[in-house]
Amino acid sequence: MTLWGALAGGLVGTVLLSTTVRLAQEIGVTRMDIPLLLGTAFTENRSRANLIGYGVHFVNGLVFSLVYAGVFEATGRAGWLFGAGLGLVHGLFAGGVLVNVLLPALHPRMGTSWTDASATPLLEPPGFLLLNYGRHTVLVTLLGHVAYGTIVGAFAAGL
Amino acid sequence: MMLRVREADGYAPIRDYAIVGDGRTAALIGLDGSVDWLCLPDFDSPSVLGRLLDAGKGGRLELTPVEPFQVTRRYRSGSNVLETTFETASGSARVSDAMTLLGTRLGPARELVRRVEGLSGTIRVRVVFEPRFDYGRRAARIAGGGSRFVASHRADAVSLSVWGAARTEVENGRVVGELVVAAGETAALSIGAAHAEPLVFSGRDEALDRLEATDRFWREWSATGTYEGPWQKAVVRSALTLKLLVYAPSGAIVAAPTSSLPEEIGGTRNWDYRYAWVRDACWTTAALLRLGYHDEVDAFFWWLMHTTRLTQPRLGVLYRVNGDPNVSEVTLDQLSGYRASRPVRIGNGARNQLQLDVYGSLLHAVWLYVDAGHAVSRDTAKEAAKIADWVVENWQRADAGIWETRSPPTHYTQSKAMCWVALDRACALADRGAIPDRSARWRTAADEIRSFVEERAFDEELGYVRAPALRESDASLLTLALLDWSSGADPRLITTVDGVRRQLARGPLVDRYRGQDGLEGDEGAFLTCSFWLVDALARTGRHGEAAELMDELVSLANDVGLYSEELDPASGAFLGNFPQALSHLALVNAAVSLAASESRP
Repeated sequence: MTLWGALAGGLVGTVLLSTTVRLAQEIGVTRMDIPLLLGTAFTENRSRANLIGYGVHFVNGLVFSLVYAGVFEATGRAGWLFGAGLGLVHGLFAGGVLVNVLLPALHPRMGTSWTDASATPLLEPPGFLLLNYGRHTVLVTLLGHVAYGTIVGAFAAGL
Repeated sequence: MMLRVREADGYAPIRDYAIVGDGRTAALIGLDGSVDWLCLPDFDSPSVLGRLLDAGKGGRLELTPVEPFQVTRRYRSGSNVLETTFETASGSARVSDAMTLLGTRLGPARELVRRVEGLSGTIRVRVVFEPRFDYGRRAARIAGGGSRFVASHRADAVSLSVWGAARTEVENGRVVGELVVAAGETAALSIGAAHAEPLVFSGRDEALDRLEATDRFWREWSATGTYEGPWQKAVVRSALTLKLLVYAPSGAIVAAPTSSLPEEIGGTRNWDYRYAWVRDACWTTAALLRLGYHDEVDAFFWWLMHTTRLTQPRLGVLYRVNGDPNVSEVTLDQLSGYRASRPVRIGNGARNQLQLDVYGSLLHAVWLYVDAGHAVSRDTAKEAAKIADWVVENWQRADAGIWETRSPPTHYTQSKAMCWVALDRACALADRGAIPDRSARWRTAADEIRSFVEERAFDEELGYVRAPALRESDASLLTLALLDWSSGADPRLITTVDGVRRQLARGPLVDRYRGQDGLEGDEGAFLTCSFWLVDALARTGRHGEAAELMDELVSLANDVGLYSEELDPASGAFLGNFPQALSHLALVNAAVSLAASESRP
């Protein structure tokens, strides 16, 4: 298992995850827009938000690859199948907690389930498993994260 | 001063309701102090208090004097806090109602606070709390005693806290009790709700503090509005009501907070309006901009463009407030319906229709937004241009029209005109450099549409007609005057406005149309059309007539300034879902148009 391999996997995996979600957007399967969601935490300008959002997403992708590397190190095993399993857990965690609960709580422009009439957030909250952004969003998200985990696992194991 | 009105069948007139809300859901409170409608946790969630749709088993929260009483009611000035004053032979009391806004402190996820202040003598007030989860399907399991009770069903729970009760107890699946309030004393109760999380209970003082903080918020919010002009009071009340219909987490606006209030008593025209219609987008954007509520415009516009992404360039007719386009229509057979008006429906089958007018509404909204100085992103600009392209390729199709008729699709004139609006505004946006410029193609199609309408859908007597194949008046054609189809001096436009008035008006009230729509039964006059007539008269140079009509319409609101969807011209009874966003949007836009026409030389 190599740390550099995990990092390289994180980079390539994030490219694949971003591309999967964008593709799903383009063909009308989901309204999930990762760079927009992340970038609008910093600015209301959508163009700038997209740029910042992609940057934040890639940093997140690298940070998570380090977490994966930690798990590989602790368990003494790596590989594409184990990585894919971690990716599935990662995807469920992202949809169930990270983007569903933590992002709205931290995001200054996103509504939450407790937003009331005293606020006018610009972004609707994603909802559990991001279902507010289209019913197939959960599948796209899980698929993207499994692909990410597969690549990180494979790269970390030296392919 | 009014006498208590609730019919023997247990239903109150729709006119007797007032609304309180918190930007996620809303409660309807009758003149007798009974909360008869409350969906939790959100507007489109199942009802927990649903007496409105089933007087027997829908669920309710009564707070009604034991003795015969007289009642007056008002909203606090500039606020959505409702004050109801009951007078009985032995005493009087004022009930203040609000769904509270929490601020940053821990409190119930949803909370309705009701404060009872004794004004004179001693008054006895009956409390009956009968929650029925899942649209009345589930009787509640109620635990607790003394001053606090909890009813729960699966992931939902509702608490009742009562302070100052002489006695309260659980009896046959409901909490019953009595408040005895002397002059100078204050009693209170609070309903708290939680969905998929623990209940947070209210303390008496915190609940009453939140009620006052909520009142301060509403006063401050209404004071930020910029409208100053005629019918100020009605406009401000409309703005406050519209704000109650905004689903704050997303910025969407529901057409109404209720489902299946009938367009004809005992009839089948009962629809669920707890969703956001794209058709309303241009009227919403116009009204919010004209009232100076730019934060709400931003939130609504972001919601509109983000939500429609899933289907763009094709647009859905309506969406759930959380953005979900899946709004399947089903009937709830367990509910008897308002005054036996069945079926009770949830969801809305119009979602599957093709309605070409929504494209004009959306692109006009984009134009208004940009014209007011707001920037749109590159993505939004590209999306708007693609929508215009879609209109070029599809305007020739027959559709269901703005009125969502359930008869076979036809070539409705208003739909074609709205396609012209879509392309005309797209050209204007491209001219501003706001969206990619394909205006040569858009202008060519716009000209074809105009020729189609002018050559095939005009009648010398009636003006523009409902469709080339339906030579009759249609009040939706008044929108041509509102959306700059041509100048206000255009004789064809004036003929159309006059034709609608002659053919469809009953006094100040205007029907949508008189022809077939594929449905059984009849309906009342459509209030929005009356306000559109005011607007159209003002824009075609007849300010005096418009102002006179506006005066009449404003006097038709209920005692707290609210309007439903329709009115029965014979009895004056409110019909349809209540309160109706489109009626209030049309009122605001008519008032502003009148103010503008008044100031013109």
